[in-house]
Amino acid sequence: MSVALTLEDVGVFYRRRTSLFNREKHWAIRHISFEVRSGETLGVIGRNGAGKSTLLKILAGILAPDEGTVKREVATASLLTINLGFLPHLSGIDNAILSGMLMGLSKSMILEKLPQVIEFSELGDAINEPYRTYSAGMKARLGFGVSFTADPDIILVDEVLGVGDRDFRPKSTRAMKEKITSNKTVVIVSHNEPLIRETCDRLVWVENGTVVATGDVDPILADYARPRSGR
Amino acid sequence: MNYLDIILFKTWADLRSEASRAYIGFLWWFIEPVLYMSAFYLLFGLGLRMGGDNFVHFLLCGLIPWKWFSSSVSNGSQSIAASAGLINQVYLPKFILPTIVVLTNTVKFLVILPILIVVLLIGGEQVSVHWFGLLYLILLQFFLIWSLASFTSAIVPFVPDLKYLIENGLLLLMFLSGVFFDLGRLDGDIAVALSYNPVALLIQAYRDVLLANQWPSVSDLAYVSGFIIIPAALSWWLFSSLDKKFVKVI
Repeated sequence: MSVALTLEDVGVFYRRRTSLFNREKHWAIRHISFEVRSGETLGVIGRNGAGKSTLLKILAGILAPDEGTVKREVATASLLTINLGFLPHLSGIDNAILSGMLMGLSKSMILEKLPQVIEFSELGDAINEPYRTYSAGMKARLGFGVSFTADPDIILVDEVLGVGDRDFRPKSTRAMKEKITSNKTVVIVSHNEPLIRETCDRLVWVENGTVVATGDVDPILADYARPRSGR
Repeated sequence: MNYLDIILFKTWADLRSEASRAYIGFLWWFIEPVLYMSAFYLLFGLGLRMGGDNFVHFLLCGLIPWKWFSSSVSNGSQSIAASAGLINQVYLPKFILPTIVVLTNTVKFLVILPILIVVLLIGGEQVSVHWFGLLYLILLQFFLIWSLASFTSAIVPFVPDLKYLIENGLLLLMFLSGVFFDLGRLDGDIAVALSYNPVALLIQAYRDVLLANQWPSVSDLAYVSGFIIIPAALSWWLFSSLDKKFVKVI
Protein backbone atom coordinates (compact mmCIF):
# COMPACT_ATOMS: atom_id res chain seq x y z
CA MET A 1 0.00 0.00 0.00
CA SER A 2 1.47 3.35 -0.96
CA VAL A 3 2.02 6.10 1.54
CA ALA A 4 0.16 9.40 1.18
CA LEU A 5 1.88 11.34 3.92
CA THR A 6 4.66 10.69 6.43
CA LEU A 7 5.45 12.48 9.68
CA GLU A 8 8.99 12.05 10.96
CA ASP A 9 9.87 13.15 14.46
CA VAL A 10 7.52 16.11 14.24
CA GLY A 11 7.37 18.65 17.04
CA VAL A 12 5.51 21.94 17.56
CA PHE A 13 5.99 24.32 20.45
CA TYR A 14 4.00 27.28 21.62
CA ARG A 15 5.35 30.07 23.77
CA ARG A 16 3.48 30.39 27.01
CA ARG A 17 3.61 33.66 28.82
CA THR A 18 4.88 33.31 32.37
CA SER A 19 5.13 37.00 33.23
CA LEU A 20 5.08 40.30 31.37
CA PHE A 21 8.35 39.75 29.54
CA ASN A 22 9.00 36.07 30.08
CA ARG A 23 7.80 33.31 27.89
CA GLU A 24 8.63 29.64 28.00
CA LYS A 25 8.52 27.02 25.32
CA HIS A 26 5.82 24.46 25.65
CA TRP A 27 5.86 21.51 23.29
CA ALA A 28 2.30 20.76 22.19
CA ILE A 29 3.48 17.72 20.26
CA ARG A 30 6.94 16.20 19.99
CA HIS A 31 8.67 13.18 18.48
CA ILE A 32 5.62 12.24 16.47
CA SER A 33 6.17 9.78 13.66
CA PHE A 34 3.59 7.87 11.66
CA GLU A 35 2.36 7.51 8.13
CA VAL A 36 -0.98 7.90 6.44
CA ARG A 37 -1.47 5.27 3.74
CA SER A 38 -3.39 5.90 0.55
CA GLY A 39 -6.98 4.78 0.71
CA GLU A 40 -7.05 4.00 4.41
CA THR A 41 -9.12 5.54 7.18
CA LEU A 42 -6.78 6.37 10.00
CA GLY A 43 -8.21 7.21 13.40
CA VAL A 44 -6.47 9.52 15.86
CA ILE A 45 -7.50 9.07 19.47
CA GLY A 46 -6.32 10.75 22.64
CA ARG A 47 -7.68 12.66 25.59
CA ASN A 48 -8.34 16.39 25.56
CA GLY A 49 -5.15 18.40 25.37
CA ALA A 50 -3.17 15.47 23.95
CA GLY A 51 -2.21 17.53 20.90
CA LYS A 52 -4.76 16.24 18.41
CA SER A 53 -5.76 19.62 17.00
CA THR A 54 -2.13 20.67 16.56
CA LEU A 55 -1.54 17.39 14.78
CA LEU A 56 -4.47 17.99 12.44
CA LYS A 57 -3.09 21.43 11.58
CA ILE A 58 0.22 19.84 10.68
CA LEU A 59 -1.51 17.25 8.49
CA ALA A 60 -3.58 19.97 6.83
CA GLY A 61 -0.45 21.98 6.04
CA ILE A 62 -1.81 24.98 7.95
CA LEU A 63 1.05 24.87 10.44
CA ALA A 64 4.69 24.03 9.74
CA PRO A 65 6.44 21.87 12.36
CA ASP A 66 9.25 23.42 14.44
CA GLU A 67 11.22 20.21 14.20
CA GLY A 68 10.99 17.08 12.14
CA THR A 69 9.64 16.71 8.63
CA VAL A 70 6.37 16.13 6.84
CA LYS A 71 6.60 14.31 3.53
CA ARG A 72 3.64 14.70 1.24
CA GLU A 73 3.07 12.36 -1.67
CA VAL A 74 -0.34 13.85 -2.48
CA ALA A 75 -1.33 17.34 -3.49
CA THR A 76 -4.01 18.33 -1.01
CA ALA A 77 -5.03 17.48 2.52
CA SER A 78 -7.67 19.58 4.16
CA LEU A 79 -9.95 19.75 7.13
CA LEU A 80 -13.57 19.03 6.52
CA THR A 81 -15.14 22.30 7.61
CA ILE A 82 -18.69 23.53 7.36
CA ASN A 83 -19.51 27.09 6.28
CA LEU A 84 -15.89 28.14 5.80
CA GLY A 85 -15.58 31.87 5.16
CA PHE A 86 -19.32 32.46 4.73
CA LEU A 87 -20.43 36.10 4.71
CA PRO A 88 -23.93 36.77 6.12
CA HIS A 89 -24.91 39.44 3.60
CA LEU A 90 -23.91 37.47 0.54
CA SER A 91 -26.33 35.18 -1.28
CA GLY A 92 -26.15 31.43 -0.76
CA ILE A 93 -24.79 30.89 -4.23
CA ASP A 94 -22.02 33.49 -3.90
CA ASN A 95 -21.09 32.03 -0.53
CA ALA A 96 -20.89 28.58 -2.08
CA ILE A 97 -18.48 29.88 -4.74
CA LEU A 98 -16.38 31.78 -2.21
CA SER A 99 -16.22 28.91 0.25
CA GLY A 100 -15.38 26.41 -2.47
CA MET A 101 -12.53 28.61 -3.67
CA LEU A 102 -11.19 29.01 -0.14
CA MET A 103 -11.22 25.22 0.15
CA GLY A 104 -8.97 25.03 -2.86
CA LEU A 105 -11.34 24.46 -5.75
CA SER A 106 -10.76 26.47 -8.89
CA LYS A 107 -13.51 28.88 -9.83
CA SER A 108 -14.44 26.91 -12.94
CA MET A 109 -14.61 23.68 -10.95
CA ILE A 110 -16.93 25.12 -8.33
CA LEU A 111 -19.15 26.66 -10.99
CA GLU A 112 -19.36 23.28 -12.66
CA LYS A 113 -20.33 21.55 -9.44
CA LEU A 114 -22.77 24.23 -8.31
CA PRO A 115 -25.95 22.42 -9.52
CA GLN A 116 -24.85 19.41 -7.47
CA VAL A 117 -24.37 21.57 -4.36
CA ILE A 118 -27.78 23.19 -4.78
CA GLU A 119 -29.46 19.83 -5.24
CA PHE A 120 -27.71 18.23 -2.28
CA SER A 121 -28.52 21.14 -0.01
CA GLU A 122 -32.22 21.14 -1.05
CA LEU A 123 -32.30 24.93 -1.09
CA GLY A 124 -34.04 25.49 -4.42
CA ASP A 125 -34.63 29.15 -5.22
CA ALA A 126 -33.55 30.21 -1.74
CA ILE A 127 -29.97 29.81 -3.00
CA ASN A 128 -30.19 33.39 -4.35
CA GLU A 129 -31.36 34.84 -1.03
CA PRO A 130 -28.87 36.37 1.42
CA TYR A 131 -27.29 33.77 3.68
CA ARG A 132 -28.31 35.66 6.82
CA THR A 133 -31.99 34.97 6.06
CA TYR A 134 -31.45 31.19 6.18
CA SER A 135 -32.62 29.01 9.03
CA ALA A 136 -29.98 27.08 10.98
CA GLY A 137 -30.95 23.97 9.06
CA MET A 138 -30.56 25.66 5.67
CA LYS A 139 -27.17 27.04 6.68
CA ALA A 140 -25.96 23.61 7.70
CA ARG A 141 -27.25 22.03 4.51
CA LEU A 142 -25.53 24.53 2.26
CA GLY A 143 -22.30 24.34 4.25
CA PHE A 144 -22.31 20.58 4.11
CA GLY A 145 -23.10 20.56 0.40
CA VAL A 146 -20.14 22.83 -0.35
CA SER A 147 -17.75 20.90 1.88
CA PHE A 148 -18.64 17.71 0.11
CA THR A 149 -17.87 19.09 -3.33
CA ALA A 150 -14.36 20.04 -2.28
CA ASP A 151 -12.61 16.75 -2.72
CA PRO A 152 -9.08 16.86 -1.31
CA ASP A 153 -6.72 13.86 -1.62
CA ILE A 154 -6.75 13.46 2.14
CA ILE A 155 -9.84 14.42 4.13
CA LEU A 156 -9.20 15.40 7.73
CA VAL A 157 -12.22 15.08 9.97
CA ASP A 158 -12.39 16.61 13.42
CA GLU A 159 -15.24 15.04 15.32
CA VAL A 160 -17.97 16.25 12.99
CA LEU A 161 -20.52 13.70 11.94
CA GLY A 162 -23.93 14.59 10.71
CA VAL A 163 -25.14 18.16 10.68
CA GLY A 164 -28.46 19.83 10.14
CA ASP A 165 -32.00 19.37 11.35
CA ARG A 166 -33.78 16.10 11.97
CA ASP A 167 -34.56 15.42 8.33
CA PHE A 168 -31.16 16.30 6.96
CA ARG A 169 -29.03 14.68 9.65
CA PRO A 170 -29.43 11.06 8.44
CA LYS A 171 -28.60 12.20 4.91
CA SER A 172 -25.44 14.05 5.94
CA THR A 173 -24.35 11.23 8.25
CA ARG A 174 -24.84 8.72 5.47
CA ALA A 175 -22.93 10.85 2.95
CA MET A 176 -20.12 11.27 5.44
CA LYS A 177 -19.89 7.56 6.23
CA GLU A 178 -19.96 6.68 2.56
CA LYS A 179 -17.04 8.97 1.94
CA ILE A 180 -15.07 7.66 4.91
CA THR A 181 -15.57 4.01 4.02
CA SER A 182 -14.88 4.60 0.31
CA ASN A 183 -11.42 4.50 -1.18
CA LYS A 184 -10.66 8.02 0.04
CA THR A 185 -7.76 8.62 2.36
CA VAL A 186 -9.28 9.87 5.59
CA VAL A 187 -7.82 10.88 8.93
CA ILE A 188 -10.46 11.12 11.61
CA VAL A 189 -10.12 12.51 15.10
CA SER A 190 -12.89 11.31 17.35
CA HIS A 191 -13.99 10.26 20.80
CA ASN A 192 -16.78 8.18 19.41
CA GLU A 193 -15.60 4.58 19.91
CA PRO A 194 -18.38 2.80 18.00
CA LEU A 195 -17.72 5.08 15.04
CA ILE A 196 -13.98 4.45 15.19
CA ARG A 197 -14.54 0.71 15.36
CA GLU A 198 -16.87 0.91 12.39
CA THR A 199 -14.84 3.15 10.08
CA CYS A 200 -11.13 3.06 10.90
CA ASP A 201 -8.55 0.69 9.44
CA ARG A 202 -5.77 1.71 11.81
CA LEU A 203 -5.34 3.92 14.84
CA VAL A 204 -2.78 6.35 16.17
CA TRP A 205 -3.04 6.96 19.90
CA VAL A 206 -1.66 10.30 21.05
CA GLU A 207 -1.08 11.20 24.68
CA ASN A 208 0.78 14.18 26.17
CA GLY A 209 1.88 15.30 22.73
CA THR A 210 3.44 12.07 21.63
CA VAL A 211 2.45 8.77 20.03
CA VAL A 212 1.69 6.00 22.52
CA ALA A 213 0.73 3.34 20.01
CA THR A 214 0.05 2.82 16.32
CA GLY A 215 -1.65 -0.17 14.76
CA ASP A 216 -4.81 -2.25 14.66
CA VAL A 217 -8.00 -0.79 15.98
CA ASP A 218 -9.20 -3.37 18.50
CA PRO A 219 -6.09 -3.85 20.66
CA ILE A 220 -5.45 -0.10 20.85
CA LEU A 221 -9.03 0.69 21.78
CA ALA A 222 -8.87 -1.98 24.48
CA ASP A 223 -5.70 -0.40 25.91
CA TYR A 224 -7.13 3.07 25.59
CA ALA A 225 -10.25 2.15 27.55
CA ARG A 226 -8.20 0.64 30.40
CA PRO A 227 -7.70 3.06 33.27
CA ARG A 228 -4.01 3.66 33.84
CA SER A 229 -2.26 4.31 37.10
CA GLY A 230 0.31 7.01 37.59
CA ARG A 231 -1.45 9.62 35.46
CA MET B 1 -3.41 26.94 -7.66
CA ASN B 2 -4.61 30.28 -8.80
CA TYR B 3 -4.74 32.67 -5.85
CA LEU B 4 -5.55 35.62 -8.08
CA ASP B 5 -9.06 34.20 -8.55
CA ILE B 6 -9.56 34.01 -4.78
CA ILE B 7 -8.22 37.53 -4.27
CA LEU B 8 -10.50 39.01 -6.90
CA PHE B 9 -13.60 37.07 -5.92
CA LYS B 10 -13.13 37.78 -2.22
CA THR B 11 -12.59 41.47 -2.96
CA TRP B 12 -15.81 41.52 -4.95
CA ALA B 13 -17.62 39.53 -2.23
CA ASP B 14 -16.46 41.88 0.54
CA LEU B 15 -17.54 44.96 -1.41
CA ARG B 16 -20.84 43.36 -2.32
CA SER B 17 -21.44 42.26 1.25
CA GLU B 18 -20.65 45.72 2.59
CA ALA B 19 -22.97 47.36 0.07
CA SER B 20 -25.90 45.07 0.81
CA ARG B 21 -25.82 46.06 4.44
CA ALA B 22 -27.57 49.35 3.64
CA TYR B 23 -30.87 49.91 1.85
CA ILE B 24 -29.35 51.85 -1.03
CA GLY B 25 -26.21 49.74 -1.13
CA PHE B 26 -23.69 50.77 -3.77
CA LEU B 27 -25.09 54.29 -3.95
CA TRP B 28 -23.44 55.02 -0.62
CA TRP B 29 -20.05 54.77 -2.29
CA PHE B 30 -20.99 57.91 -4.21
CA ILE B 31 -23.09 59.65 -1.62
CA GLU B 32 -20.67 59.19 1.25
CA PRO B 33 -17.73 60.95 -0.42
CA VAL B 34 -20.04 63.65 -1.76
CA LEU B 35 -21.29 64.32 1.76
CA TYR B 36 -17.73 64.19 3.04
CA MET B 37 -16.54 66.72 0.50
CA SER B 38 -19.61 68.91 1.01
CA ALA B 39 -18.86 69.13 4.71
CA PHE B 40 -15.43 70.57 3.99
CA TYR B 41 -16.86 72.84 1.33
CA LEU B 42 -19.36 74.25 3.77
CA LEU B 43 -16.85 74.59 6.55
CA PHE B 44 -13.90 76.08 4.72
CA GLY B 45 -15.39 77.31 1.46
CA LEU B 46 -18.36 79.23 2.79
CA GLY B 47 -17.90 79.40 6.54
CA LEU B 48 -14.42 79.92 7.84
CA ARG B 49 -12.92 81.38 4.67
CA MET B 50 -9.47 80.67 5.93
CA GLY B 51 -6.37 79.61 4.05
CA GLY B 52 -7.13 81.50 0.87
CA ASP B 53 -9.40 80.93 -2.13
CA ASN B 54 -8.22 77.52 -3.12
CA PHE B 55 -8.13 76.08 0.34
CA VAL B 56 -11.02 73.64 -0.19
CA HIS B 57 -9.42 72.23 -3.32
CA PHE B 58 -6.08 72.08 -1.57
CA LEU B 59 -7.68 70.19 1.30
CA LEU B 60 -9.62 67.71 -0.85
CA CYS B 61 -6.55 66.83 -2.92
CA GLY B 62 -4.87 65.87 0.32
CA LEU B 63 -7.78 64.29 2.16
CA ILE B 64 -8.92 61.88 -0.50
CA PRO B 65 -5.58 60.19 -1.19
CA TRP B 66 -5.01 60.26 2.57
CA LYS B 67 -8.29 58.46 3.23
CA TRP B 68 -7.29 55.74 0.78
CA PHE B 69 -3.93 55.43 2.49
CA SER B 70 -5.12 55.42 6.08
CA SER B 71 -8.07 53.05 5.77
CA SER B 72 -5.99 50.59 3.75
CA VAL B 73 -3.11 50.56 6.19
CA SER B 74 -5.33 50.59 9.26
CA ASN B 75 -7.66 47.78 8.12
CA GLY B 76 -4.88 45.98 6.30
CA SER B 77 -2.71 45.78 9.41
CA GLN B 78 -5.52 43.86 11.15
CA SER B 79 -6.31 41.61 8.20
CA ILE B 80 -4.40 38.51 9.30
CA ALA B 81 -5.24 38.84 12.98
CA ALA B 82 -8.92 39.26 12.10
CA SER B 83 -8.98 36.12 9.95
CA ALA B 84 -8.11 33.73 12.77
CA GLY B 85 -11.14 31.53 12.13
CA LEU B 86 -10.39 31.17 8.45
CA ILE B 87 -6.67 30.50 8.55
CA ASN B 88 -7.02 27.98 11.35
CA GLN B 89 -9.21 25.87 9.13
CA VAL B 90 -7.64 26.08 5.72
CA TYR B 91 -4.24 26.92 4.31
CA LEU B 92 -4.11 30.25 2.54
CA PRO B 93 -0.96 32.17 1.70
CA LYS B 94 -1.27 34.99 4.21
CA PHE B 95 -0.26 37.77 1.82
CA ILE B 96 -3.66 37.50 0.14
CA LEU B 97 -5.41 38.86 3.26
CA PRO B 98 -3.89 42.37 3.30
CA THR B 99 -4.03 42.35 -0.50
CA ILE B 100 -7.83 41.93 -0.42
CA VAL B 101 -8.20 44.81 2.05
CA VAL B 102 -6.01 47.07 -0.08
CA LEU B 103 -7.98 46.18 -3.20
CA THR B 104 -11.39 46.90 -1.65
CA ASN B 105 -10.14 50.28 -0.48
CA THR B 106 -8.61 50.94 -3.89
CA VAL B 107 -11.94 50.30 -5.58
CA LYS B 108 -13.59 52.79 -3.24
CA PHE B 109 -10.87 55.35 -4.00
CA LEU B 110 -11.36 54.84 -7.72
CA VAL B 111 -15.06 55.62 -7.24
CA ILE B 112 -14.28 58.78 -5.30
CA LEU B 113 -11.58 60.08 -7.64
CA PRO B 114 -13.91 60.98 -10.55
CA ILE B 115 -16.16 62.76 -8.05
CA LEU B 116 -13.18 64.76 -6.82
CA ILE B 117 -12.28 65.63 -10.39
CA VAL B 118 -15.83 66.80 -11.10
CA VAL B 119 -15.78 68.92 -7.94
CA LEU B 120 -12.45 70.48 -8.99
CA LEU B 121 -13.72 71.22 -12.50
CA ILE B 122 -16.91 72.79 -11.19
CA GLY B 123 -14.75 74.79 -8.81
CA GLY B 124 -12.83 76.25 -11.75
CA GLU B 125 -9.67 74.14 -12.01
CA GLN B 126 -8.36 73.59 -15.54
CA VAL B 127 -7.62 70.21 -17.09
CA SER B 128 -4.15 69.90 -18.54
CA VAL B 129 -1.88 67.23 -19.96
CA HIS B 130 -0.23 67.04 -16.55
CA TRP B 131 -3.30 65.24 -15.23
CA PHE B 132 -1.99 62.11 -16.93
CA GLY B 133 0.55 62.12 -14.11
CA LEU B 134 -2.29 60.89 -11.91
CA LEU B 135 -1.94 57.43 -13.43
CA TYR B 136 1.58 57.12 -12.14
CA LEU B 137 0.72 58.65 -8.76
CA ILE B 138 -2.12 56.18 -8.26
CA LEU B 139 0.07 53.25 -9.20
CA LEU B 140 2.81 54.46 -6.89
CA GLN B 141 0.43 55.02 -4.00
CA PHE B 142 -1.12 51.59 -4.58
CA PHE B 143 2.26 49.91 -4.16
CA LEU B 144 3.13 52.05 -1.14
CA ILE B 145 -0.15 51.10 0.55
CA TRP B 146 0.12 47.46 -0.42
CA SER B 147 3.63 47.10 0.95
CA LEU B 148 2.85 48.91 4.22
CA ALA B 149 -0.42 47.03 4.79
CA SER B 150 1.35 43.72 4.14
CA PHE B 151 4.25 44.54 6.40
CA THR B 152 2.08 45.65 9.32
CA SER B 153 -0.35 42.75 8.87
CA ALA B 154 2.55 40.30 9.26
CA ILE B 155 3.76 41.90 12.49
CA VAL B 156 0.48 42.64 14.30
CA PRO B 157 -0.36 38.96 15.03
CA PHE B 158 2.97 38.60 16.87
CA VAL B 159 2.84 41.97 18.61
CA PRO B 160 -0.88 42.72 19.07
CA ASP B 161 -0.02 45.86 21.05
CA LEU B 162 1.07 47.47 17.78
CA LYS B 163 -2.59 47.96 16.93
CA TYR B 164 -2.72 51.00 19.21
CA LEU B 165 0.55 52.38 17.90
CA ILE B 166 -0.61 52.08 14.32
CA GLU B 167 -3.84 53.98 14.92
CA ASN B 168 -2.07 56.81 16.69
CA GLY B 169 0.85 56.67 14.29
CA LEU B 170 -1.57 57.23 11.41
CA LEU B 171 -3.09 60.23 13.17
CA LEU B 172 0.37 61.73 13.63
CA LEU B 173 1.32 60.91 10.06
CA MET B 174 -1.77 62.74 8.80
CA PHE B 175 -0.50 65.95 10.38
CA LEU B 176 3.03 65.32 9.11
CA SER B 177 1.82 64.73 5.57
CA GLY B 178 0.48 68.18 4.88
CA VAL B 179 -3.13 67.19 4.51
CA PHE B 180 -4.27 70.37 6.25
CA PHE B 181 -1.46 72.75 5.54
CA ASP B 182 1.17 73.41 2.93
CA LEU B 183 4.46 71.84 3.97
CA GLY B 184 6.18 74.15 1.48
CA ARG B 185 5.61 77.00 3.88
CA LEU B 186 7.75 75.37 6.53
CA ASP B 187 11.47 75.80 6.58
CA GLY B 188 14.47 74.70 8.55
CA ASP B 189 15.10 71.26 10.00
CA ILE B 190 11.44 70.31 10.13
CA ALA B 191 11.01 70.89 6.40
CA VAL B 192 14.04 68.70 5.70
CA ALA B 193 12.69 65.96 7.98
CA LEU B 194 9.25 66.03 6.40
CA SER B 195 10.70 65.81 2.91
CA TYR B 196 11.55 62.19 3.74
CA ASN B 197 7.90 61.38 4.36
CA PRO B 198 6.68 59.54 1.24
CA VAL B 199 3.01 60.30 1.97
CA ALA B 200 3.73 64.04 2.14
CA LEU B 201 5.56 63.84 -1.17
CA LEU B 202 2.71 61.96 -2.79
CA ILE B 203 0.11 64.43 -1.57
CA GLN B 204 2.27 67.27 -2.82
CA ALA B 205 2.45 65.52 -6.19
CA TYR B 206 -1.36 65.21 -6.38
CA ARG B 207 -1.62 68.95 -5.77
CA ASP B 208 1.06 69.74 -8.35
CA VAL B 209 -0.85 67.79 -10.96
CA LEU B 210 -4.45 68.72 -10.14
CA LEU B 211 -4.13 72.27 -8.86
CA ALA B 212 -0.90 73.74 -10.21
CA ASN B 213 -1.01 72.01 -13.60
CA GLN B 214 2.60 71.00 -13.47
CA TRP B 215 4.49 67.72 -13.52
CA PRO B 216 5.31 66.34 -10.09
CA SER B 217 8.93 66.40 -8.97
CA VAL B 218 10.79 63.51 -10.55
CA SER B 219 13.24 63.21 -7.69
CA ASP B 220 10.41 63.05 -5.14
CA LEU B 221 8.66 60.29 -7.03
CA ALA B 222 11.92 58.41 -7.49
CA TYR B 223 12.44 58.63 -3.74
CA VAL B 224 8.92 57.30 -3.03
CA SER B 225 9.45 54.46 -5.52
CA GLY B 226 12.69 53.55 -3.78
CA PHE B 227 11.12 53.85 -0.34
CA ILE B 228 8.53 51.19 -1.22
CA ILE B 229 11.30 48.61 -1.59
CA ILE B 230 11.87 48.59 2.19
CA PRO B 231 8.41 47.50 3.40
CA ALA B 232 7.97 45.34 0.30
CA ALA B 233 11.20 43.42 0.94
CA LEU B 234 10.44 43.09 4.66
CA SER B 235 6.94 41.78 3.89
CA TRP B 236 8.27 39.29 1.39
CA TRP B 237 10.78 38.04 3.93
CA LEU B 238 8.22 37.83 6.76
CA PHE B 239 5.62 36.06 4.67
CA SER B 240 8.05 33.55 3.24
CA SER B 241 9.46 32.63 6.65
CA LEU B 242 6.31 32.88 8.78
CA ASP B 243 3.52 31.84 6.42
CA LYS B 244 2.80 28.62 8.31
CA LYS B 245 3.58 29.97 11.78
CA PHE B 246 0.85 32.60 12.10
CA VAL B 247 -1.70 30.06 13.36
CA LYS B 248 0.47 29.55 16.43
CA VAL B 249 -0.30 33.02 17.69
CA ILE B 250 -3.84 33.68 16.48
